[in-house]
Amino acid sequence: MLEVIQLSKKYGNTLAADKIDFAVPDGKIGILLGPNGAGKSTVIKSIAGLLRYKGMIRIQGKDARSLEAKKSFAYVPELPYMYDALTVSEHLEFITRAYGVEVSENQRKELLERFELTDKQEKLGSELSKGMMQKVSICCALITKPKVILLDEPMVGLDPAAIKELKNVLAKLREDGCTILISTHMLEMVKEFWDVTFVMEKGQILGTYAKENLANEDLEELYFSVTEQGVQSGQEGR
Amino acid sequence: MGALGYLYGKVLKNRIRVALRKPITYFYLAFILFYLFAVPLSLRIIAAEFGVDSPEGMAAILTLVAFWLIPGNLIAYAKRKGLVYRNSDLHFLFPAPVSPKRVLLYAYVKTLAVQVLLNLFVVIYGGAIFQVEDWRLGVYFLFAIFAENLLEGSVMLLLYGSENFLERHRVFLVGVAYVLGGILILMGVYTCFREGLSLETVMNFLNSHMVQMVPVVGWYIGVIHLILLGPTTVNVVGSICYSVLLAGVLLAAWRMKCTGAYYEDAIKFAEDYEEVLASRRQGDTQKRLGKKQKFKKAHITWKGQGAKVLMYRQLLEYKKSRYFIFDINTIVALIVGAAVAYLYIVEGGFGSFEPFVIPALAAYIIFVFTAMGGKWAKELLSPYTYMIPDTPFRKLIYAMALQHVQSLVNGCLITIPGAVVMKLSPVMAVLGIVFYVAVYANKLYALAVAEIVTGNALGKTGKQLLQMFLQSIVLLMVVMGALAGQHFGGVLMAYVFMDVFTILFTIIFMVIAMLNFYKMETV
Repeated sequence: MLEVIQLSKKYGNTLAADKIDFAVPDGKIGILLGPNGAGKSTVIKSIAGLLRYKGMIRIQGKDARSLEAKKSFAYVPELPYMYDALTVSEHLEFITRAYGVEVSENQRKELLERFELTDKQEKLGSELSKGMMQKVSICCALITKPKVILLDEPMVGLDPAAIKELKNVLAKLREDGCTILISTHMLEMVKEFWDVTFVMEKGQILGTYAKENLANEDLEELYFSVTEQGVQSGQEGR
Repeated sequence: MGALGYLYGKVLKNRIRVALRKPITYFYLAFILFYLFAVPLSLRIIAAEFGVDSPEGMAAILTLVAFWLIPGNLIAYAKRKGLVYRNSDLHFLFPAPVSPKRVLLYAYVKTLAVQVLLNLFVVIYGGAIFQVEDWRLGVYFLFAIFAENLLEGSVMLLLYGSENFLERHRVFLVGVAYVLGGILILMGVYTCFREGLSLETVMNFLNSHMVQMVPVVGWYIGVIHLILLGPTTVNVVGSICYSVLLAGVLLAAWRMKCTGAYYEDAIKFAEDYEEVLASRRQGDTQKRLGKKQKFKKAHITWKGQGAKVLMYRQLLEYKKSRYFIFDINTIVALIVGAAVAYLYIVEGGFGSFEPFVIPALAAYIIFVFTAMGGKWAKELLSPYTYMIPDTPFRKLIYAMALQHVQSLVNGCLITIPGAVVMKLSPVMAVLGIVFYVAVYANKLYALAVAEIVTGNALGKTGKQLLQMFLQSIVLLMVVMGALAGQHFGGVLMAYVFMDVFTILFTIIFMVIAMLNFYKMETV
């Protein structure tokens, strides 16, 4: 389970996240939506432990900054950056050592095959295309066997086959009880499998919507109805 | 082996393997080896001439280095700016369940290989130039590698990683570091006022007890003096203080709380670092680490159409940037120009090679040191360049025009001071400046030719090698031309031949380089 409690973050005088509260239960897929500059990246980077913040973030009930919490958490950033001098298989080896996970040779092979990276195993990070880097980034996250996974625009740069595979993987993770939070603008890509959506704007959560409570409402319609309401209430407020 | 050990080992091994596959590595190694042998030889002569070829000379030099390094490192760590992380560290390492203290040590250990290498040079030079006894050099090496790194590593952990240090504490520490540096400078200035400015005064000051009594920096200097020159009351006391400081800081670093709050600052620094690296690769030397590049408001009057807009856009960018068209090459040209003039006055001449000292230096600096690429190379990366409805020739001319202006300024700076003191004729001074501009243009166009010939097939290294090869041939021809000119019509004719040969080859390269602007695919 992922819990974000009263998360606030300021950059100088700018309040990027203002007392954000939300939670994604085990075995659910949460979607974080919002226009550019809404504060999604701040929330994501805070969960990933990359920023200082006020409030509390819990991963499987533990403080997100603790090593115990980090062991059960995986992160796929929006822009993948590889170690120039490490090969694809060395990236995986490094990550399994960092997370202290046991991965059999078969599991490793299977993961690489799923994302069509088998023939790229010995390529250096500096020799990979953007799309390949994104695939490696996803494989590195998955190989840690996470209980909570955070994906920031994971489909950007992926080819259709990889997108399909990623969707399958996410569905399987959900089945296994993993908590998933995805931040994306590609609503089409996530409309079939989301469970709960958080719509953000101006550093605040405008609304939390569980799929089971909405009668056939499309994610895109929901997004626009919420953000337009937000704009209107903002204008009325002025 | 842990994850960080694995990462460090693999990165180092793969880097070496990749480097050994590139022929340019061997060129750089030969270059470095040449300097490693040439520098001690010349330094030995200089040190002997100035009477500093003794252990006291080495102690004084290490003291001077400490003046600069210790306050500088304190400031960098207190500002959380001293350690270099790459974007890949932010992606994989920071979110991983690795202790943030270890992540700090990993970044620190990355600098260790260079430190070991530098200290090896210090030891070799110490024996060859300053005649320090071998056992003392051995002790110094052990001290520099073990004690000094333990202290600096612990200080780094405390300042960079400790979450008990608040922002105001950091500001205070930065202030203390400046005060320490200030005290040392004031002491030096006071000594010079009292005893007069001479090398002897400076040496006496650097080896004085007064300096060793300054807290922290002075204690380190005390240890250095104890090792290299033997015990005195002050350096023994300083060494004891240093040991107590080391033990205290080590203990504090061991016990400190660190959950990774520094990651945010490290990310900012890493992003700045990557940005500076990327712009340096493109030949832009104006971006500085830790400083956000500020752009002024500027206005230009756009004249003409087509490819001319490339030049005007570059001009607008230059006008907005802090130093206009001037960069590190300008400073180098200024320093070299002034050094030539100074050495001429001090030495009273350069012998029979005298008229060619300036062009030879200019060609050497351009060939070896000048940054590659620049604004014209950036033009090749933009699809808009190819879409401008104009001829490739005009695109090439206007994309490179301002770089020629830049080299004209640098050419004047490197040539005029020497020309004035050597009393060269105005015609020869002008020919010297033309030579600088032509050699610089030749380098630019040789690189553009290399772009055409290698494309993406041989990578950056291949392009650089080919460019160096082409320019070496040109410079060889120029030398032959100069010799022929000298033979037939004296120095002036040699200058004319040098310029004509360089310009001829540059025009040939320019015509080939034009192909770069036909279509993006050639890049």
